[in-house]
Amino acid sequence: MRLLGVGKRYGRGPWVLRDLSLDVSGLVVLTGGNGSGKSTLLRIVAGVTCPTEGRVVDRPASVGYVPERFPSDVRMSVRDYLRHMSAIRGASGEVLERLGFRGSMTAPMATLSKGNTQKVALAQAFAATDLLVLDEPFSGLDTAASVALVEMLAERTAVVADHEGHLPSAQVVSLSGAHVTIEFSRASGLGELSDLDGVRSVEPRGTGARVLVEPAHSDTVLAEALRLGCSVRSVRS
Amino acid sequence: MTALVRYLAADVLRGQRFLAPLLVYCGVLGMLFFDDPGPALQAYAGSCALIYPITAWLAVVIATSEDQARREITVVTAGGWRPVLGAVAVLSALFTVVLAVMATLLPVLTNTRPYQVSWVLAGFAAHVVCGFLGTGVGLLFARPVLRSIGHTVLAVFGVVVLTYPLGPRSPLGWVLDMFGADRVSTALVWSGLASVVLVVAAVLLGLRATRRT
Repeated sequence: MRLLGVGKRYGRGPWVLRDLSLDVSGLVVLTGGNGSGKSTLLRIVAGVTCPTEGRVVDRPASVGYVPERFPSDVRMSVRDYLRHMSAIRGASGEVLERLGFRGSMTAPMATLSKGNTQKVALAQAFAATDLLVLDEPFSGLDTAASVALVEMLAERTAVVADHEGHLPSAQVVSLSGAHVTIEFSRASGLGELSDLDGVRSVEPRGTGARVLVEPAHSDTVLAEALRLGCSVRSVRS
Repeated sequence: MTALVRYLAADVLRGQRFLAPLLVYCGVLGMLFFDDPGPALQAYAGSCALIYPITAWLAVVIATSEDQARREITVVTAGGWRPVLGAVAVLSALFTVVLAVMATLLPVLTNTRPYQVSWVLAGFAAHVVCGFLGTGVGLLFARPVLRSIGHTVLAVFGVVVLTYPLGPRSPLGWVLDMFGADRVSTALVWSGLASVVLVVAAVLLGLRATRRT
């Protein structure tokens, strides 16, 4: 699954995301402060909302999603909710046990603790077979459940918003701070460019390319691109 | 789709917000048909006028039963907004059929006046049509088209109230006029088509609205 030049704004409001390209494979962790667009990006990845600009290609069929805040007032029981979700998806999972769920399966979910509610939210998502989209999944989990979740995620393709460093081996995409977008009308040596420090993404476009770079590395990347024979069309931050 | 409709139905029934419109419906039906309601088709005109706002109310209840976060999980689980909005429309239609059966059979069971089978069938069809019109209005202004429940209530209430003074200039008025004149005509078919178009348009508008959420 790939995101190509994705941007999002709500109505005529400010841009929440701009020019973001991302290859989703393995485990990807999104970091960034409040309002940096992590949740918006996850909603785009999950298919809940459409990007205002750019596009999402090759979204897999079976996606599991956990929002930042799972509702706490659900009257349905855990057993019924997971049974219905499994029926809709046509799959089932044994996630609750691995996460150490402690609570009644038949009582309304509104009576569960925050941690157990989060485990239910994770359980319904893990029934997906292709891609997991998890917004702050460690929120409310105890240490043992967090460890179990890290182990479970190691086996999966997932995009996770997490600023507590639970997944050190994952590919980290930082949404904090701006980036510099360099567009080339003619590009060569894209492989070398993508290996440079500070390069967030390299997206071929016809004979050219669009490269997103962290501001601190933009001069170096630009100089290297010119050395490789690229022709610059525009640079903007 | 069946699993999705079952889940939404279980959620709506557990949520109990459906009780208020259902109780109002049963109460008014009881008042309409408690005593001799008159000729069959004219009696059905009253319950047809009643089912319209009730199904609009129920459609809003069904469309907003899940809160936004849980709806988004359902959308991802089901593979997109299209099946979820379709399931909401199907469930609303099923509720409408149940209400239509109640309104059609109640006078048959409680009154001594004979009801011809053709009148009962026409009455059932008319209730379904008027119910679908209400469903369409409810879905047209419910989430995701309008995100605020306050705006939804105001819009649905406004349209429902304004429909009655329109008289024979609305699909609902075509049915009420037809039964008021104690006859069955092709107006029922045209109203039925209009109701289906309204429900489909509401679903399509909802799909369009999800692009800007």
